[in-house]
Amino acid sequence: MIWVETIINGVLYGGLYGLLGVGLALIVGVMRVVNLSHGEFIVLSAFLGVSLVGVVPWLHPLALLLPVALIAFVLGFVLQAVLINRVVTRPDPFAGILLTFGVAVVMRNLMVEVYGADPRHLQAGRLAQASAGIGDLHVGVLPLLILALSVALFTGLQLILTRTRFGRIVRATADHRDVVRLMGVNPGRVYNLVMGLSLALASVAGMLLAIRASFTPYSGVERLLVAFEVVVLGGLGTFWGAMLGGIALGVAELVGLRLDPNAGPLYAHLLFLVGVLLRPNGLFRGRS
Amino acid sequence: MTVVRWSLVVLGLLAVVSAPWLIGEGTQRFLSEAMLMLAMAQMWNLLAGYAGLVSMGQQVFVGLGAYCLFFASISLKVAPFWVLPLAPLLCAAVAAVVAVFMFRLREAYFAIGTWVFSEVVSLLVSKTERLGGERGVGLPTARLVDPRWLEPLTFWISAAIAVASVAGTYALLRSRVGLGLMTVRDNDVAAASIGVDVWWNRFIAFVIAAAGCGLAGAVSFTATLYVAPGFAFDPNWVVAMMIIVIIGGIGTLEGPILGVIIYFALREALTVVFGLSAGWYLIGLGIVAIAAILFEPDGLWPMVRGRLGGDWLSVRREPPAPALELSAAAQAAGGVRSSPTEFGATPGDR
Repeated sequence: MIWVETIINGVLYGGLYGLLGVGLALIVGVMRVVNLSHGEFIVLSAFLGVSLVGVVPWLHPLALLLPVALIAFVLGFVLQAVLINRVVTRPDPFAGILLTFGVAVVMRNLMVEVYGADPRHLQAGRLAQASAGIGDLHVGVLPLLILALSVALFTGLQLILTRTRFGRIVRATADHRDVVRLMGVNPGRVYNLVMGLSLALASVAGMLLAIRASFTPYSGVERLLVAFEVVVLGGLGTFWGAMLGGIALGVAELVGLRLDPNAGPLYAHLLFLVGVLLRPNGLFRGRS
Repeated sequence: MTVVRWSLVVLGLLAVVSAPWLIGEGTQRFLSEAMLMLAMAQMWNLLAGYAGLVSMGQQVFVGLGAYCLFFASISLKVAPFWVLPLAPLLCAAVAAVVAVFMFRLREAYFAIGTWVFSEVVSLLVSKTERLGGERGVGLPTARLVDPRWLEPLTFWISAAIAVASVAGTYALLRSRVGLGLMTVRDNDVAAASIGVDVWWNRFIAFVIAAAGCGLAGAVSFTATLYVAPGFAFDPNWVVAMMIIVIIGGIGTLEGPILGVIIYFALREALTVVFGLSAGWYLIGLGIVAIAAILFEPDGLWPMVRGRLGGDWLSVRREPPAPALELSAAAQAAGGVRSSPTEFGATPGDR
């Protein structure tokens, strides 16, 4: 029974991992840029959550998801418009990596200076302890809620990209940046919106993760690594693949911790290495 | 010209040899750190600037080199400097095995793959009590070295490693391997089509870079007499290498030298003169790196060289003579100019 519970918890945790990665998958899929500051934005949104809880302590942290996501959207829009759009058209594939790497270094150390290096945590009150059970199986209510929210966001993103005019424009821009110009689309503006969307998703993941685990300004590195593993395992630019990749990593991590209590994320990393070496195009390659 | 060059070499050698008597211990330590950092940055530059491999896991070799030196020295009960050659050998061997797997990944995938590999090694070392676990180990065998000579020896070895990293990279890039690397970097499909072995060239660069980082890392931790996974496999090693190379000039041999000077000058200026915390210094460096990528994507060195003039450590080659004659003949005949053959890689060159 303990194993069933471990695997269920891994799936629930992995849904959150999937959410960490899906924003990055979106960026990689649409503009072929790997945003190395993705992890820093995840941590920044958690700090924003902590700050907002200080301003409005009577509101539940989950109610702050929307305002933090809006702030993250604006930050992403500005980041793309001011910095990344300047290098995105360069033929050098590393310009984007190196630029966002610089942004990550600046953000990480600014957060250390502003918030200090102590571990922080978002309090979710009674909800964090609540658990639901069928027979002997006990599962936390909050992880279930988080997984439901992740699935809802994934579905929403999928619907936006496949069913709306904006989604069509985004997919067309991803396919042919130069051709969409002929149809009156400004690819730079599309990228701004996509980066905003990516970081809004990242901020939701960052807030939810801050409820489940503590974080410091240095956590961005680990978050980025998880996000990237999710993207690569899931297959470049596929969203449900990212979800499955996240779940695979979550299960590997929790099962690993059950077998070997001080392993940390070792087994998740090993799964990633084995997976990527066996199938360099991702485990769950499908339609984007 | 040769007389001037040789006298410069002799003067430099004299300066380095006599330095421990002329400058204080603190300055020696600072210069050793800077020179080891230069060697690591040069290795990262060889990978990213010439082999087209952006590795974000170079810190794994820094850490492995340090651990190899510590455990070889402790188990053989000899002074750490005697087992120094083992560190680059181990790192080269590990890199040779890792390359077989990692080279299946391209560009950003390779970057993250190497990084994850480094994290895995770091976690495994932290879990292994025999290697000191998370707490790390000291270097008791350092007592076998006369304490008066510990600092000067570290200084001389660091200087030798720094010079070797620059001279070695220069020699490598002037060789057939270097020519192959540059054709691969510029266009790997075209390089393969004229018979350049893309995989093999990258493999050589990766193994050399690993050995270089391992050697520099081993010496670096000898100076601190203590190694722990959190410091040895710290991603900040590769962060420093990347920032130095980006600011100085990626894909030039002089770039990392200029980058190291800026990196340490800025650090001393901000932390010592202005008394700012290390955080603000890293913020400043990050902003300089962002500005460099936006406005001087080739780094500061090409700009500086423009002011200074001269050829410095350029690895540019003269076009092969027959092509010149042909183009001259074509021009004389009023024909079309032949296409530039600056990097005239002949078939089979690698």
